[in-house]
Amino acid sequence: MVQAERQAGASWLNKACRLLLVALIGISPLAPGDEPAAAPGEATLDILTWGGAYERAQRRALFEPFTRETGIEVRVHRYNGGLTELRQAIDAGRMPWDLIDMSRSEAKTACADNLLEALSSDILSPSPQGRPAERDFIDGALNRCSITHSVFATVVAYRRDAFPGQRPTEISDLFDQKNFPGPRALHRGPAVNLEWALLSYGVPEEEIYRLLSTRRGLSLAFKRLDNLDNLHWWEAGDTPVQLLAEKKVVMASGFNGRFFDAMVNRDLPIEILWDGQVQEHEVWTVPRGAEQPQQAREFIGFATSAERQTAFAELIPYGPSRRSATLQVANHPDTGVDMRLHIPTHPLNAEHALTKDDEWYARSHERINDYFEDALLEEDSASQSP
Amino acid sequence: MAADKDQPTSTTTGQDIPYSSPASDAHSPNGARGMLRFLGLVLLGAVIGGLAALAAVGFVSAVIWLNDLLLISPRGRMMFAHPEALALATVAVPALGGLVVGQLHRVIRERRPHTPADLIAAVQTRRGRLPPRAGLLSALSGLVSLGSGASVGQYGPLVHMGASLGSLAARLLRMGRSDDNVTIACGVAAAIATAFHAPLAGIVFAHEVVLRHYALRAFAPVAAAAIVGHVIATNVLSQGALFHVTDTAVPRPWEFAAFIVIGGLGALVAGGYMHAILAVGRWAAKLPVVPSLRPAIAGAALGLVALWVPDILGMGQETLRFATIQGAFSSLDLVIVLVLKLAATAMCIGMGFGGGVFSPALVIGTLFGALCGTLVTQLGMAGETFIFYAVCGMVAVTAPVIGAPLTTLLIVFELTGSYVLTTAALASVTLASPIAAQLFGRSLFDIQLARRGLDLSAGRGRALLQNARLKSLVSQECVILNPNDSVQEAVTRVGEGGHGEAYLVDDRQRYRGSVTLADLEVMRGKGQGHRRVRSCQRTPRPVLSPEASVWDAMHHVQDVTGEAIAVVDDKAGDAFLGVVYESSIARAYLKYSEELRREEHGTG
Repeated sequence: MVQAERQAGASWLNKACRLLLVALIGISPLAPGDEPAAAPGEATLDILTWGGAYERAQRRALFEPFTRETGIEVRVHRYNGGLTELRQAIDAGRMPWDLIDMSRSEAKTACADNLLEALSSDILSPSPQGRPAERDFIDGALNRCSITHSVFATVVAYRRDAFPGQRPTEISDLFDQKNFPGPRALHRGPAVNLEWALLSYGVPEEEIYRLLSTRRGLSLAFKRLDNLDNLHWWEAGDTPVQLLAEKKVVMASGFNGRFFDAMVNRDLPIEILWDGQVQEHEVWTVPRGAEQPQQAREFIGFATSAERQTAFAELIPYGPSRRSATLQVANHPDTGVDMRLHIPTHPLNAEHALTKDDEWYARSHERINDYFEDALLEEDSASQSP
Repeated sequence: MAADKDQPTSTTTGQDIPYSSPASDAHSPNGARGMLRFLGLVLLGAVIGGLAALAAVGFVSAVIWLNDLLLISPRGRMMFAHPEALALATVAVPALGGLVVGQLHRVIRERRPHTPADLIAAVQTRRGRLPPRAGLLSALSGLVSLGSGASVGQYGPLVHMGASLGSLAARLLRMGRSDDNVTIACGVAAAIATAFHAPLAGIVFAHEVVLRHYALRAFAPVAAAAIVGHVIATNVLSQGALFHVTDTAVPRPWEFAAFIVIGGLGALVAGGYMHAILAVGRWAAKLPVVPSLRPAIAGAALGLVALWVPDILGMGQETLRFATIQGAFSSLDLVIVLVLKLAATAMCIGMGFGGGVFSPALVIGTLFGALCGTLVTQLGMAGETFIFYAVCGMVAVTAPVIGAPLTTLLIVFELTGSYVLTTAALASVTLASPIAAQLFGRSLFDIQLARRGLDLSAGRGRALLQNARLKSLVSQECVILNPNDSVQEAVTRVGEGGHGEAYLVDDRQRYRGSVTLADLEVMRGKGQGHRRVRSCQRTPRPVLSPEASVWDAMHHVQDVTGEAIAVVDDKAGDAFLGVVYESSIARAYLKYSEELRREEHGTG
């Protein structure tokens, strides 16, 4: 089994080399997102994270308080997920980041491929009530190379004005362009799309990954996606909000936090369809070869305290990974919105929630991705980028 | 019961007799002690239910773990990166699994895994006492078979495991055979309740398939076991139920006619399935291969075909699910997978893998129903009701195979909570069960038992008598004459013995017929008292072999007017073994009937 994993790793590296050429052209837009360099000599922590409202909330709830408390500056770098850049940096022998905010599924792959430092739960503080961290964190939050800081969901949002009569209530409505006409936007990748496609056939949540593991299940899912007319594929997390705002699509998949931001802070007339939400863990990791692994661990301890998690969840509706923090979440400090109702893990929203099977994605991501591209992206590669 | 009630009323002469008096009379032999004993039995049922449920949970979890580890489950296969190694494993794992199973069966006395048929036989003949060693080995064989991807079911092993646990408890507590039967039923009910999350189906299955009678005395402990099993399943077994149906479409009236027809056709599929299993079994027996290697051959063949159609590997839960989704299979796909799954299951079970016939029947039935649904849709007649066709096909094939129409209906009801769907299934089973019963037999278990010499088709009373051996009734208390004795001497000896007849046994202990005192007296009266007995007129009488059953003896009694029937071992050169008195045959008959009556109609 171990050998199999190593072999898998080797083939992944080959793949990474192949992708490198593509990536050289692909990633360059990252550079403009980088912060201006901090003054030389000062201690700075380089954190790779996602952009947009998410980053704004992190700055306010985590980065700025951290700098105030420790004097360590935080320099933010943005990315759209994926391990390509991390592999590249490790191959190049120079690690530009000290911390990476990534999804747990990618962290599992990266951990198996030895791209990450091991993390111990000793760096975590107990709950305000004194409960040890191991029992305060939700199940599956503490892993060998990663620590879950929040749970987010991929959901479908729709423009209220596009459906003046009957509104979408089920995830299968995403694929029902007869009753709910209009263009759609989905993430350019297999994850979540395949789950929703199979859910729309009435497959129960607990069987989704078992069925997606068969050729038949995959082809059923691809058939659903392929039948969508006027479909936009998005890549950056802010694009679906933009597409909805510009009325280019009437339904789009996206991260629940971003949709919330658009709804509450930008007054977009959109609504979240919680049915079929796919929950994922968002984790902190320390890349192998990070220049300041000690400060990085210090930051993780600070940022995952119940107080900081609560502050973060009050700015952007990501479910805290600490049970104690979830109970403390109250209203948004600026708008006064009751944030508990917008957290994916709230019982009202989580009735038909699916938890993304990280293990499955970590071990089959490459193959699923290939199938996905073969089935859906090749024919319409001309019209893919909006 | 009726007689009990009539008696007091007929003797009433103006005097008011309290209504409860007949009832309390009837219960007086048991009283408070009887009730405590009964409650103890119910409690024991709950305990057995808990044990059987935990065993079932462990078994199911172990199968899932093995399937993931051994690259049998689709999830395990998808997560494995190397196509060549995967192909190799697809063939090697079932083959090696077969090898292990073959070795396991060598240490079971019957050289085959025990199945629900064995426990049905034990209960129907009131033998009880399932052997724990064979039970354990059979469970292990089922685990290895399922774990390595053989196309067999898991419910058979689960049911047998529960029954063995129940029987073991009865034995440890030194309980009687009737109680042993009840504890077996408890284990069975708990296993079904746990595996399907369906307590009602568990209770009905234990009555319909195992006990085959309804008695309050058995019902309460069985219900307790099923409830405990269900509670454990909902709390421990996170694995989802067999299938979920969320669709709430309502079929049009004419579609019920289609469901009935599907039932009739499904019975034929069920018959084909059962006979394929039996035929492969007969054919495998003629193979020039050591029996313990046969499962390995079946496993390798299964793996080779699975490279092309992976749907036939294992229990086929994914295939079952897909068959309920319209458009997941084309009609051609459905036919191919149906035929291959049927053939694969017949091969695996016929060639000696351990495991049940129920799960594959579910898959085959659902595929068959989906095929019917697809054809009807192609005719442009059905719309939203595809799932109804799939479920109707499922019950039409499954109910005849296990001989349990009510259980199958309840499984549908408890798993879907849909009354409309259950009604459709009822329409289908209405025709399926009688057709299959007429053409093939009550169930695969009954057919297998009939081939082993236990005919349950005429009910339990007959099976019990057919299974009861004569040996214990054989008596040596009779007058034995040597054919060379004189008539004079014979008359004296028969008279002194107080009998009306005597048996002639020669010097080599061979039986030479019987004579009556009347005939001997006639000869003596004619002045032939000095002649040899052998010249006396023999009464033509049937004889019984020592292997004969009480049932056979009962038949002979009808034709015999004498007092006893001679028991002669024709295999040992007509050796005379003794006689069986007609009165003892009648007594045995009454004893067995009384035991059955108490078991089936008693309350405590």
